[in-house]
Amino acid sequence: MTAKHFATGVLGSMLCLCGVFAQDLTPIDSDATLADVQSIEVDEAQARADFRSLDQDVQALKEEVLDLNRDLFLLEEELLFPANSQVAFFVSMDVGEYFDLDAVNLKIDGKQVSNYLYTEREVSALHRGGVHRLHMENLKTGEHELIAVFTGKGPSTRDYRRGATMSFEKGIGAKYVELRITDRISKQQPEFVIKEWE
Amino acid sequence: MILRRFLAVALCVILAAGTIAPQPYAAEVKSGPILVEDVQFGEVLFYFYQEDYFPAIVRLLAAKKESQLENHLDESELLLGGLYLSYGHHLKAADIFERLLADNVDQDVRDRTWFFLAKIWHQRGYLAESQRALDRIESRMPGPFEAERRMLQAQLLIDNGNHDRAIELLGNWRGKDAWANYARFNLGVAMVRSGRVNDAARILDKLGKLEPLNEELSSLRDKANLALGYAYLQAGQPRAAKTPLQRVRLDGPFSNKALLGVGWADAEVDKYRKALVPWMELGGRDLLDPAVQEAMLAVPYALAKLESISQAADYYLNAVEAFYEEAQRIDQAIDRLESGDYLKEFLALDPLSSTGWYWQLESLPNAPESRFLYHLLATHRFQEGLKNYRDLRFLWQNLDEWQTNIRVYRTMLDTREKAYNERLPLIERSLGQADISSLISRKNNLDARLRLVEEKADSLALATEREFELWGEIVGIEKNPALNAPIPEAAEVRDKIRLLKGALQWNLDKQFRGRLWNIRRDLKRTGEALVDTTSLRRQVGESMRDEPMLFADFNRRVDGLSPKIDDLKARLEFAMERQRVFMLGVAIDELRAQRGRLDTYSVQARFALAAIYDLAATATADSGFDSQ
Repeated sequence: MTAKHFATGVLGSMLCLCGVFAQDLTPIDSDATLADVQSIEVDEAQARADFRSLDQDVQALKEEVLDLNRDLFLLEEELLFPANSQVAFFVSMDVGEYFDLDAVNLKIDGKQVSNYLYTEREVSALHRGGVHRLHMENLKTGEHELIAVFTGKGPSTRDYRRGATMSFEKGIGAKYVELRITDRISKQQPEFVIKEWE
Repeated sequence: MILRRFLAVALCVILAAGTIAPQPYAAEVKSGPILVEDVQFGEVLFYFYQEDYFPAIVRLLAAKKESQLENHLDESELLLGGLYLSYGHHLKAADIFERLLADNVDQDVRDRTWFFLAKIWHQRGYLAESQRALDRIESRMPGPFEAERRMLQAQLLIDNGNHDRAIELLGNWRGKDAWANYARFNLGVAMVRSGRVNDAARILDKLGKLEPLNEELSSLRDKANLALGYAYLQAGQPRAAKTPLQRVRLDGPFSNKALLGVGWADAEVDKYRKALVPWMELGGRDLLDPAVQEAMLAVPYALAKLESISQAADYYLNAVEAFYEEAQRIDQAIDRLESGDYLKEFLALDPLSSTGWYWQLESLPNAPESRFLYHLLATHRFQEGLKNYRDLRFLWQNLDEWQTNIRVYRTMLDTREKAYNERLPLIERSLGQADISSLISRKNNLDARLRLVEEKADSLALATEREFELWGEIVGIEKNPALNAPIPEAAEVRDKIRLLKGALQWNLDKQFRGRLWNIRRDLKRTGEALVDTTSLRRQVGESMRDEPMLFADFNRRVDGLSPKIDDLKARLEFAMERQRVFMLGVAIDELRAQRGRLDTYSVQARFALAAIYDLAATATADSGFDSQ
């Protein structure tokens, strides 16, 4: 046993661990034969190939599960909300500087169908352009009334509660209704607009 | 313009969310809301901005299949690429980027996207893909990204055994930032590996003396000193080795190896008494570290050299015992790993709320084997494997929930179909009784009669029942022959009758227009109601015709999806098992390597001990012979 024998082993393991490149360096060992080095490299290459083979399988499975989820999602929607009776209600925000949204309460034909409390993440997503599907409903063709009550903090962070109402005609085919929170700059107040999508 | 701006923002958000983007860059890409023209696209964004990538992808794929993203075709496709990337579905993401990136986003965003992919692929061992992604970067990247890109390039060269090119790349490094120090360190290491110790020494020595302004620099300084010290020891220059090794902090993560090296630097020049000082210090440290294990053999080795044989024997005995106990602990850890619970413990406290690339293991399970594995667990391969295992588990749970739902939908469909079949005869009977054609015909007759009444201004035709009776009575009285008698009373009655008839006629004429309008309005409403009824009748007819087809379609889909879920769940279980076996294999190999090292040290200690006993026995025998 010599100091050099110890040193080479330790140096090898140390270099394996301490570089910025960390684990991917192979150890320096001048006493090691070429065969040893090749063996280490073969092991590393084999481990990498094994991982890659597994990873590719996982990638393929992910894709299949995502496609299946898409089909299941569509099936669920068509089954629970057939196109001829489907009405979807969305919440969106355009700027929204004068209103900090807490909750939206939705009534259709006098019946409360949703009372949704928003998290900070959700409000942030709305601010950035996201649109939230608040509620889905099956409605008969004909006229219906919608009342949406928005609660939150208004200008000067005061408690704020405002309602918006509209009548809409449900025809044959799916209908989308968007509850949009916008800013009325001239009055420095929020504005709540209901928009029907074709 | 809006499209390009959105794509840049969306991709930057994806890139900024990753570990590679420093905070200032994340702040730089903040932007106003996106103009949403398809509500389904806005819904995808809602999930995307919350970093809920799985539901975002599912909704995007569904909307795409239903052609609901007509106003956001390119954006949605590129967003899908970004979502795949964030979800760790890197191969699919690259497919999309290769098709779309060139034409749709600015060059800097494109470069960053390829750089991000290069990093992911390198960490997952896709070296050729990683190099191809790096090759796609067209120009110098902003800020620290450029340094990181070059470092990654150097790493890829080293991974491919091309040390000379790595040295060339790192040797040309300019700049004085933190990356420059890392580049110099890696250059030094690459030179040592190429046998250019003297060249490496100049670089590592300079790094080993740098001002340790923070923990990161202190750590880098320790690494450089350690690398240099051991390079000198390996090159047979123990005196030169001692100086850098002594610069390593005594309480840092590299102190054990430095202390061991300092001891060997002294031992190499026969200063065993001095060598004992660092080695004895190591004896009190955690036996897990190979440097400590080696020190347990080095101490009695030095004592033997100092002819303190009895003490050396005691230390060898201690080492044998300590190695045995540590080996026992490793054996127990291997047994526990093989029992298969360890991976479950990793994920036991994980709510599976998010998946994909950004997930990181935050703490190790409080299990005995964690102590032996922390180095391994910190490696990319293990971490990426764990991510895959976690993703597979998430997918399995997702499908398990769908499996429950699909059973509910099966029941729902059966109930609906049964209810429909029960109601169908009643509906058919009702429809058979409702003669809409006859109603339409009657309405048309009424229209014709009304037109005639109007043309003839026949006010009597619109008279009320009472008025009609009165009219009839008056006409009846008029026809009475008695009224023609030539007497004054008859003339008086005739006058009264004429007056009454005139008054009634006047009233009828006066109300004629109003009554005509009212009747026309009622007829119009009747017509509208008949149109609605006809339309509804047609809808009912269509429903009766389509409903069986709809049921058949739903049944086909439910029946088709259900076995797909079963099949995929089984394949996920198989993949999870493969992943588990692979990761446990890596962990157990690591433990066996540690066990093997302990066995080697143990054999060396026993051999040295045997040699000492033999020496002692020989000495005793010699002295016995002498005394005789």
